[in-house]
Amino acid sequence: MNRPPTWMHVEIRGKHRGFGLWLPLFLLLPLALVVLIILSPLILIAVLVLLPSGRGIWALRVLRAAFSVFCSLRGLRVDIQGRHQSVYISVV
Amino acid sequence: MTESENRKKILEMLADKKISVDDAYRLLSAIDSAESGQASAPKTETAGKAKPKYLRVTILPDPEHEHSENVDRVNVRVPMSLIRAGIKLTSLIPPEARDKVNGALREKGIDFDVRNLKPEELEEIIGALSDLEVDVVSAKGEKVKVFVE
Repeated sequence: MNRPPTWMHVEIRGKHRGFGLWLPLFLLLPLALVVLIILSPLILIAVLVLLPSGRGIWALRVLRAAFSVFCSLRGLRVDIQGRHQSVYISVV
Repeated sequence: MTESENRKKILEMLADKKISVDDAYRLLSAIDSAESGQASAPKTETAGKAKPKYLRVTILPDPEHEHSENVDRVNVRVPMSLIRAGIKLTSLIPPEARDKVNGALREKGIDFDVRNLKPEELEEIIGALSDLEVDVVSAKGEKVKVFVE
């Protein structure tokens, strides 16, 4: 699995005004960890309840896959320059 | 004649004193180098073909209007790892939703079953993408390029 991305750069520019943002994604990880720890008893109960239907393991796999997608975002770059507006998104 | 047969023949010739020890050594070395050359050939071929890292999609305006303000430009770079993760995600689509996706694709004329996307075949698909290059020039002169790098 890749290293999780650390920053996301979003820039939206119009004809006259625009803004740019550097989002610190690395700050999300400790936050997500705290949320996960707080919610872990609930997650465990949900997994146990869903286990007979086979959805419990599936839910855990989805969580893992979602994290994997998040980690894979590193290197993504979208640069669209329209007639009136331009959008730039970069994940580093 | 195989390499092992060649080796045997050389050793037999050496035993029969038809060739000297030096000659036998030289011949065996030649077989060794030929063998390693054959073994390394496919390796170098794969090594020469670097693993693609990104899928790029670019839409560039007509070169005549390139410096004009009233044109659209698109430059998208998608990491291959994201494509890999995305394909892996398809295996987690619940069966009911999967049928809906397949149905929607069929409606659009795409007869494709997302169940056929297996993670173990991923690398083959990604590898095949390295040869992909789509180059389209629209009527307006816009150049659409899809390639991997």
